[in-house]
Amino acid sequence: MSRSWLLCGMKPLQGSTHFSLGNQKVEKRMGCQQSLQSSEVLKVRTIYINDPLKNTFCTNSISTTKYSKWSFLPRYLYLQFSKAANAFFLFITILQQIPGVSPIGQYTTLLPLLVILAISGIKEVVEDYKRYMADKVVNSKTTSVFRQNSWHVIKWHEVNVGDIVKTLNEEFLPADMILISSSEPQSMCYVATANLDGETNLKIRQASLEVAGIIKEGQLVNLDGKIECEEPDRQFNNFVGTLYLRGKSPISVGPDQMLLRGTQLKNTQWIIGVVIYTGFETKLMQNSVKSPLKRSQVEKVTNMQILILLLLLFVISAVSCVGATIWNKMYLENIWYMGISGITPHNHVFDILVFIILYHNLVPISLLLTLETVKFIQAQFINWDEDMHYEQNDLYAMARTSNLNEELGQVKYLFSDKTGTLTCNTMAFKKCTIAGIIYGNHSDNTDDGNENLSRASFCEFNDPKLLENFEDGHPSSEYIKEFLTLLCVCHTVIPERCGNDILYQASSPDEAALVKGAKKLGFVFTTRTPYSVTIEVMTETHTFEILNILEFSSNRKRMSIIVRTPAGHLRLYCKGADTVIYERLSKDSLFVEDTLKHLEIFATEGLRTLCIAYTDLTETEYQDWLQEYKKASAVSQNRIQRLEECYEIIEKEFLLLGATAIEDRLQANVPETISTLLKANIKIWVLTGDKQETAVNIAFSCKLISSTTPRIYLNADSFEAAQQTINHNCGDLGNLLGKENDLALIIDGETLKYALRFEIQKKFLDLALSCRAVLCCRLSPLQKAEIVDLVKKHEEAITLAVGDGANDVGMIRMAHVGVGISGNEGMQATNNSDYSIAQFRYLEKLLLVHGTWNYFRVTKCILYSFYKNVVLYIIGLWFSFVNGFSGQIIFEHWCISLYNVIFTSLPPLTLGIFEKCCSQKSLLEYPQLYTVFQTGEMFNTKVFWIQCINALIHSFILFWFPTKMLEHDMILRHGYTTDYLFLGNFIYSYVVVTVCLKAGLETTSWNRFSHVAIWGSIISWILFFSVYSFFWPIFSVAPEMTGQINMVLSCPHFWMGFLLVPTTCLIQNFFWKLIKNTYKRGLLEEIQELESRKDSILEHSEIFEKRMTAASLAVSFSTQPCEIFFRDDSVDLSAPHGYAFSQTEGAVVTQEELVRAYDTAKMENSRISKRSSDFSEIF
Amino acid sequence: MEKEFQHHLSRMPENSAIKQQKLPAHRLHFSNQAIFTIFFATGAFCFCIGIILLLSAWKVQEIEINYTNICEDCAKMRENALNFDKQCTCSIPFNLQKTMKGDVYMYYKLYGFYQNLYRYVLSRSHNQLMGKDVRDVKDCAPFKVTSNKIPIAPCGAIANSMFNDTIILSYIRSTSEHIQVPMLKTGLTWWTDKYVKFQNPSFRNLSDHFVGTEKPPYWQEPIYELDTSDPGNNGFLNDDFIVWMRTAAFPTFKKLYRRLYRVKYFSDGLPAGNYTFDISYNFPVTKFQGEKAVILSTLTWNGGSSIFLGLAYTVTGVFLWMSSFALMAIQGKMRKKKLSHRR
Repeated sequence: MSRSWLLCGMKPLQGSTHFSLGNQKVEKRMGCQQSLQSSEVLKVRTIYINDPLKNTFCTNSISTTKYSKWSFLPRYLYLQFSKAANAFFLFITILQQIPGVSPIGQYTTLLPLLVILAISGIKEVVEDYKRYMADKVVNSKTTSVFRQNSWHVIKWHEVNVGDIVKTLNEEFLPADMILISSSEPQSMCYVATANLDGETNLKIRQASLEVAGIIKEGQLVNLDGKIECEEPDRQFNNFVGTLYLRGKSPISVGPDQMLLRGTQLKNTQWIIGVVIYTGFETKLMQNSVKSPLKRSQVEKVTNMQILILLLLLFVISAVSCVGATIWNKMYLENIWYMGISGITPHNHVFDILVFIILYHNLVPISLLLTLETVKFIQAQFINWDEDMHYEQNDLYAMARTSNLNEELGQVKYLFSDKTGTLTCNTMAFKKCTIAGIIYGNHSDNTDDGNENLSRASFCEFNDPKLLENFEDGHPSSEYIKEFLTLLCVCHTVIPERCGNDILYQASSPDEAALVKGAKKLGFVFTTRTPYSVTIEVMTETHTFEILNILEFSSNRKRMSIIVRTPAGHLRLYCKGADTVIYERLSKDSLFVEDTLKHLEIFATEGLRTLCIAYTDLTETEYQDWLQEYKKASAVSQNRIQRLEECYEIIEKEFLLLGATAIEDRLQANVPETISTLLKANIKIWVLTGDKQETAVNIAFSCKLISSTTPRIYLNADSFEAAQQTINHNCGDLGNLLGKENDLALIIDGETLKYALRFEIQKKFLDLALSCRAVLCCRLSPLQKAEIVDLVKKHEEAITLAVGDGANDVGMIRMAHVGVGISGNEGMQATNNSDYSIAQFRYLEKLLLVHGTWNYFRVTKCILYSFYKNVVLYIIGLWFSFVNGFSGQIIFEHWCISLYNVIFTSLPPLTLGIFEKCCSQKSLLEYPQLYTVFQTGEMFNTKVFWIQCINALIHSFILFWFPTKMLEHDMILRHGYTTDYLFLGNFIYSYVVVTVCLKAGLETTSWNRFSHVAIWGSIISWILFFSVYSFFWPIFSVAPEMTGQINMVLSCPHFWMGFLLVPTTCLIQNFFWKLIKNTYKRGLLEEIQELESRKDSILEHSEIFEKRMTAASLAVSFSTQPCEIFFRDDSVDLSAPHGYAFSQTEGAVVTQEELVRAYDTAKMENSRISKRSSDFSEIF
Repeated sequence: MEKEFQHHLSRMPENSAIKQQKLPAHRLHFSNQAIFTIFFATGAFCFCIGIILLLSAWKVQEIEINYTNICEDCAKMRENALNFDKQCTCSIPFNLQKTMKGDVYMYYKLYGFYQNLYRYVLSRSHNQLMGKDVRDVKDCAPFKVTSNKIPIAPCGAIANSMFNDTIILSYIRSTSEHIQVPMLKTGLTWWTDKYVKFQNPSFRNLSDHFVGTEKPPYWQEPIYELDTSDPGNNGFLNDDFIVWMRTAAFPTFKKLYRRLYRVKYFSDGLPAGNYTFDISYNFPVTKFQGEKAVILSTLTWNGGSSIFLGLAYTVTGVFLWMSSFALMAIQGKMRKKKLSHRR
């Protein structure tokens, strides 16, 4: 807790002035009073314990819904009309109501608009209902509360402020509470706060000793008093309160007594607490800010294009208006058939409005809805994907937003958290070296799916050789004994008997792994009393008296323990980093070289190593030291520093025993996934709050860096130093700066603080971008977000952040796409993410397959939607040239407005939903395909213009061909003559056919839905046309359409044109395709062709190899030897070190206090019975 | 905390092909070879069709006589609206060199008359023309009512500007024998027009039903006197009226005027010989720089003598062949280059 993990309350770091963590607005709901500025205005809330009537605060129910029953309509409409396109159509609808201004009827825009609003309204309601149901599940979890002198099981939402709540082991806490009492000694309890801050070690909370022990019902009834504390705020480790109990002096309570909602009780049978904050006032909920609205790159480009279209619309309208003016000048006076009023010219504003209404459909009204539908279904595909189904937890991938589907196909930078994302966060004692002999299975099993097995058996150490050597009296057997004894004794783990088995509680996962490993090897740590440790070796018990614990800190990188062995000797056991241990080795120490070699091997494999050493102390030596130690512990100032100095005195002359190697288990297939993603030209940065050593370890084990990769360490403690190192390294890179080199950059949070200063941030980024792998360690959540922000700002590329803990929330929200790893305890990351997956390896499918497909689909869908609208509605412009710019429309009103709603609504949908650029197999087999989409060349303004020009040419052909055909007029049997709508119906039919066939050409993967959409759309128009021609006079619409169907269909010209016009339109598309095939053949085309040729499997690999070498040149770096000469000493070219160790530091209860607090010997017999009796008292 | 909720959301999807995106699909990929095949096939097809269409268009016999300049005097007179009641006739002799076989249709053609103006197209009352309510002139601006506020029937700009020249074709068998070629005034309209869109208020005493309405200002006789000889061709049901009311798409358009009644000399069509058009010139066109023409034409299965479609097909066919040859040549060259490059 020493580091401030504050998510949001943190002040912006020095040097990063322009940064804020997304939208920090918290929704006010349920009448809860918010006090965001509570730190400034210190308000006090008074809570009456166990007296709910006096406490009037908000309820404990939470709601994350967007709408309520009443706010739905206004909010929804506001939301919809704040979209530019919808507002535009509303504007058109209103314009159409002005009498005489609309050439296409009054309601022809209103109806499609209403349909579109209704459909997306239904979608909103469904989504909100889902949220409501999810809230309901949370709200109706149960917990026990002490009311009316007995325990009641109630639902979470019924919990009130002031309630006394009891929570059992492994349960989540329903609200923020003050710890009153617990099952553990000294009213301690362990909580997992992964949900809140992402830290994986357990936190210890301890109740004030004055109130501890209130567990009996009688005492609870008498518990009368109040708590005064500050108003709720969002800071996790900031709390000040005072507990006033009747008849007792006030007790101050702080964060160490605070249990937060969202944390999970661990290793503690039960706790009792008084609720202080509920529902939205809990720190968890105060921190759950609404996800910022992320818009994809494609969406931005699309909006730009809509704007261009709007501009185009105004230009066309203006042109038409000018045309009308000229025409009127030339003819209007003489056209007697228009009567006198025909001569009175309209004003230009009116004219331009007429034309805007006439052409307004250029902007595709249905595009937004189509896209929403398409993206919604794409999101469902992600949710349904069995390949991303993690069967262990029965978790599917979940698209929490559908806005960013296509963004997944363009990711360039991947920022990954380490713990819980790359790793499973389980440690296993894998290997060791004792007396220069390496033990442990050498088989390189980086795990294959069935983690459940391995997770159950925590320790994977199964090398029988070790025990053989030990038992058979191998020369090293003494060392083995000492080594394993040390593992059993030198730690702060607390054993807990559970039947015949012993469970170990530890705040350090490394220690737990070691103790478990030793247990499996027959050295069982059984009992801990405040001053001794008992171990069982081969049925013999040995008790070691614990004299002193020399605590671990990340500065010291070691922990030692001074014991009196059963034989009565004084001995100091130490485990720690190789560097610190080797410094302190005595000259007599053996196996130094061998062990070092082995350490290197371990480190290269990415294992976390600890060196194990001991030294014997003499009685006088110890006594002298003890004096020093006592003095140091009595000091009030700088005590920790003094103590560390004191430890230093005695930690010397070590004799090396060996080293342990712990595997921080990677999630399944992480190395494979990373190599695939690297091949797809995605740059991977690891951002972790963990220590540098750990991060480097993981980078090795997941093959992000190899042992030959030079590592640039940026560790500076001042701005100048940081600047100098960065400049130096940039200088050393020289020409290679800005290119990708086989280098690894490792930077810690402190240095990053300087590196992100405005002056050198660009330089730093350049350096970072020149490295193949970037590891940032010891980062605060805010810094993680800052890095993402830095890359996002300076690189025009899509960033993706993946993480599992609350400390990743910042970067998850900052990145273009945030991915949360679900399934671990923490839900914060998942809840703030855009996509959640259960395993890191699913990123491969999510990005390479779903991302690529979605991007391909969405862009095709958008371009096609633009195309089809331009094709039809620009015809109005061509017709204007014939009709003197009078605003006459060539089609029937309702045909125009139904174009987007019915006749051409399906093809864009099937394009958007089912289109595949190439098969999943190809995409996964050739990750290089991803680069085709990454660049965004498939969709930009140029492509848009090309599509528009294509549409323009099509519409030109579609108008002028029929016009020329009909100009002669004598085309019907019996010499009948025709009218303008006859031409209109010709053109309209051709347009529908052309546009549908164009969709067919665009579709590279035809399934049955494509057939339905394309042929169905054409048929739907013909059917509609047939029926509609018989409407008049039964319904009073469309008198002009009467009889059109018979005449059109019986006209030979129609059928002749039916063959010719779409063909001429589409033939030019073929033409371009041919030219592209010949001259600009891309990787995608190549693979598409391979796929279409089923028989050519042999050729497959051959062609591809040829292709690959060319394509991968830019991507591959492993082949390119690193010949940079580094002058800077920050570059580490040596073999890696593998030291890493995690342990709680600076907690309420020090490691020594913790160890001294437990007496498992006493408990051993009584504990179980005592606990059960505790329970019976409680219930 | 929300583990359960997660669990709830992840319903078990059935592993259907749709959900797993594994629907059987046909890959549409056009290799160059496929495109060439398409080009050649379509080219050949288009070329053949084009030739057929051209041949059939050439079979059509058509005579067009523009009489704006020929009847210049009348045209001049009509420019002045004050001469509306004066008669002006004009006679145009012409020679038919080949017999026009089969059905012969007579059209009039107007140049520069914008029947497709927005407010012109709008200016009609469908309810009135259906005979439902002869006083319904709602949409007929600017010809809704007369200056006395009496509703006009038929109202609107379209009806008001109806073509009112009379064209009579005479066959001059010999200098003395002038035979008026028998022409049918009916059967000129779409079936739906005559039987659905246009209805008289009643067949009997037509004039009574138009009481309370006024004839359009530019008309010489009221609607119920368009063809007094044939009640089925009178009032709103008058074929010439109906034909006019179907507003043309282009400023230059033809409208069917008469069809040949194939009796006696004309049972095979119009025999070769000398003819005259006797035109009573009523419809002013010169004021808006327009022109008028009269056309006699036969029709084939594909209509009149328009060659556009035939040309379009032929050109498309030829273009496809030529471009594919050109592209093939280019491709061959490139392949050679590549091969030599590889060696």
